[in-house]
Amino acid sequence: MSETRSSIIRIAKYTIVDQVRQKSFIMMFVICALFILLVRNCSQGGFIVNGQTLDDDAVIRVMLKAVFHMIAAGTMLLAGLLSMRVFKRDREEGMQSCILSKPITRWQYVAGKILGLWVLSVVFMFILHSVVFIMISIHLKVVSPEYLMASLLSSFNLFFVVVAVLLFSLLMPDIIAFLCVMGIGIVSFVAEGIVAASQSQLGQAMLQQSGSASDVSRWKVIYYLWPKLSGIQQVASSLISREGFHGFLSIYPFINILIYCLILGALLFWRFRHEDII
Amino acid sequence: MLMIKLNTVTKKYGSFAAVNNVSFSVETGEYFALLGPNGAGKTTIVKMLLDFTQPTSGSLSINSIPSTQAASRTAIGYMAENHRIPPHLSGWQYLQRCAELLNISRSDATDQCRRIVRQIGMEGRENSKARTYSRGMIQRFGMGAALLGNPKLLLLDEPTSGLDPIGIREIRQLLESLKDQGMTIFLNSHLLSEVEKICDNAAIINQGKLLVKDNIAALIKNGDTLEDVFVRLVKG
Repeated sequence: MSETRSSIIRIAKYTIVDQVRQKSFIMMFVICALFILLVRNCSQGGFIVNGQTLDDDAVIRVMLKAVFHMIAAGTMLLAGLLSMRVFKRDREEGMQSCILSKPITRWQYVAGKILGLWVLSVVFMFILHSVVFIMISIHLKVVSPEYLMASLLSSFNLFFVVVAVLLFSLLMPDIIAFLCVMGIGIVSFVAEGIVAASQSQLGQAMLQQSGSASDVSRWKVIYYLWPKLSGIQQVASSLISREGFHGFLSIYPFINILIYCLILGALLFWRFRHEDII
Repeated sequence: MLMIKLNTVTKKYGSFAAVNNVSFSVETGEYFALLGPNGAGKTTIVKMLLDFTQPTSGSLSINSIPSTQAASRTAIGYMAENHRIPPHLSGWQYLQRCAELLNISRSDATDQCRRIVRQIGMEGRENSKARTYSRGMIQRFGMGAALLGNPKLLLLDEPTSGLDPIGIREIRQLLESLKDQGMTIFLNSHLLSEVEKICDNAAIINQGKLLVKDNIAALIKNGDTLEDVFVRLVKG
């Protein structure tokens, strides 16, 4: 058991070391660093609109939420970019045949890859969130530990992205695999927006007028079954705004993503088991 | 004792049979060469032994363990045809990685890597990045990686590919020196003159079918060379 674990951890370590020197990783790191530098200016406080001073705490919380989502979305993009070429690169550089000619099973290899990519993405996101958290805490003397907690909750989404892109990259060209998973994410966020709009007073009134309430309920089934990436983001960000949990509605996105991860993970292991190693 | 056993192995890609009903075995300590023209199915057999690809029918075992089990690869050193090393790693880092994957302790790994770098004649170049290596140098490090952990079986797929005559001779001398250690060697090669010098037994396959498996001395009777025998058998 310990040998199995150490093999997985070793492969994860090699994955991290090899990925950190990829151009896409360095580029994303630079973009994020620039973005945080820009955010730094917003955290000074003292917001004035039409001559009226705004409540710093309220403005900062809105800004924190926006930055939180941007960092999470950027990291999902990064996780997808890193995952899409992992198998191909390993094959081309001879590491796949090198590893699998040792007494290491294919599932250990795949598990190591997933673990490495996920840990790298989570650490990347957590560092960025921590920098924002520290900046805000220092400038405004407002400590929001919920921010870091929310960052950890978002890591569920990264796990989904890594597993899904790895699986799709075995079935289709890398870039298509990446775009497919990003498409799933975009649909999830757009659907969340539409549902939120339909639940507003204006939306309800429009639906009643057009008499399409039954059509909406059909779409809602798809909405609930679709990977709830946006749902997890919303639950996580509700921690920042201290909105609190809403029972099952708060837990459901995690159950949804967990089920998707289990299904996609099982398919990934099964598919890789039947891959020819070159 | 049998080190390798192939039992009526067939590998088909669609309707094309890359390996067709092949059976043979290799004894422990034997230096065995698998010969055949390009596309004969030699590399496919090596890949099936490593479980890189599954046979359509039949079974393969190493040290009496089915090749589908990871445990069968416990004491194997493998060197691929056109061996590759990640370009950002140095030869030393590559060997260290391979040693780690074999669960060799850090201090032991360093000792072994140092010895192997000397054996493959790469002293002074081990810390350069692989992207600066020639084809022959990469082959040497591939050979070195295969020797890590003192394997009982070496699976070598065209080990001299890309090497100059001096490199070929050095690899041959290295393989000969391993004979005393009781290692089994399974060699895929086109260089029949080298095989003749190193190996005890050989099998010749063509179009996925096993044509002959015998002692090399028995194959090259009446003043023939192994090349003569090979050409005669392959051309029918």
